[in-house]
Amino acid sequence: MQDSVAQLREQIAGLLPRLRRFARTLARDAHDADDIVQIAVERALTRLDQLRPGSQLSSWLFGIVRNAWIDEVRGRARQGRIFAPEELGAQVGEEPLGTVADTLAVQNALERLPQEQRIAVGLVLVEGLSYKEAARIMEIPIGTLTSRLARGREALQEMLSDTTGALS
Amino acid sequence: MTLSDETLMAYVDGELDEKARVEVEAAMRANPDIAARVARHQALRKRVRLAFERVVDEPVPERLVAAVREFPIVTTRENNVIPLRRRKPPRKWSWLEWTSMAASVAAGVVLTLLFVGHSAVEPITSRDGHLFASGSLARALSNQLAGRVDTASASAPVQIGLSFRDKGGRYCRTFALRDASALAGLACHSGDQWRLEVLARGDYRADSAAAQYRPAASSMPKPILQSVEDRISGEALDAKAEAAAKDSGWTATR
Repeated sequence: MQDSVAQLREQIAGLLPRLRRFARTLARDAHDADDIVQIAVERALTRLDQLRPGSQLSSWLFGIVRNAWIDEVRGRARQGRIFAPEELGAQVGEEPLGTVADTLAVQNALERLPQEQRIAVGLVLVEGLSYKEAARIMEIPIGTLTSRLARGREALQEMLSDTTGALS
Repeated sequence: MTLSDETLMAYVDGELDEKARVEVEAAMRANPDIAARVARHQALRKRVRLAFERVVDEPVPERLVAAVREFPIVTTRENNVIPLRRRKPPRKWSWLEWTSMAASVAAGVVLTLLFVGHSAVEPITSRDGHLFASGSLARALSNQLAGRVDTASASAPVQIGLSFRDKGGRYCRTFALRDASALAGLACHSGDQWRLEVLARGDYRADSAAAQYRPAASSMPKPILQSVEDRISGEALDAKAEAAAKDSGWTATR
């Protein structure tokens, strides 16, 4: 058991970059996103018994990240706290300006989507998961997923149409 | 043929079966409008993906790696369902409660608490579905008076909170481990051992090391305080009564 637990820890560690990326589609602030990942990882480790044999570790973890995020948003709403201020300056790095500017535009647009649309977009468009996996993670039927995804995309399309995407 | 946006999106997402895919591609060739719509969906997908691409290449913050590697976990030997009664955790604390009912269900299942990367002697062991204090925790529960951190056992310093007698006359004490596990709990002395009645885990999200190791009596997690309320008979022991109880070896009296 100790061995397989150690292996699981390694596998989870290997998934951290993707978990962070998914969390970043949910929480605009990078620090908030990492907090979500940390909460999720700790929850996952206390619930390893819920990981069914044969079920995919990554899907399971994405689901926990999603739930942690939803809990966090509810908690903050209760406390009347606002989100950490955007640190635009901190995000401008060495990248060509176009890329950074476009990243910000996409993040801004994503942030304005309703929660469930944002999660659907994060799982399918950013993480590249299948509809089936994404629906399972969100605990909704596939039809619900695809309609959320469609609405999310339309809204993004609209919000982003007046900004220049750095795409050919 | 009219194709819905959802179908075109599904095409872009690689979700269509062979037949539907061929149809969409034929429609794209026949109708520039449809081709343009597909291109629009493709561009958005790519744009959103690229916006977050960088994140996977960033170094993962050390605190996350540490959480994955070191956070203590509870599991069963056969990876069966852990027979604990769970309650919806309050926001800041996740916790597990051992009850006599759960424990009887648990008979025969050996629970293992793994503290990877921690002291060689685990502060908690399990037998017959019950958890017991061991090592530094057992020593602290037996010997340490409230409010003092046992620095002698530097690997896992323990802080003792309240001591009291439960309704069955047993002595019980709350404690907190001042290490990365941030476990806190309630232990009651029975049959020469400290049996763990409740365990809760602190939230060590905060970045500073000082804030990680938080548990002082005042920040004892709510579920533990609640279980003290449920079990306590009379008042908590004062310093004198606590010292007397310690000298008596925590023998239950009625």
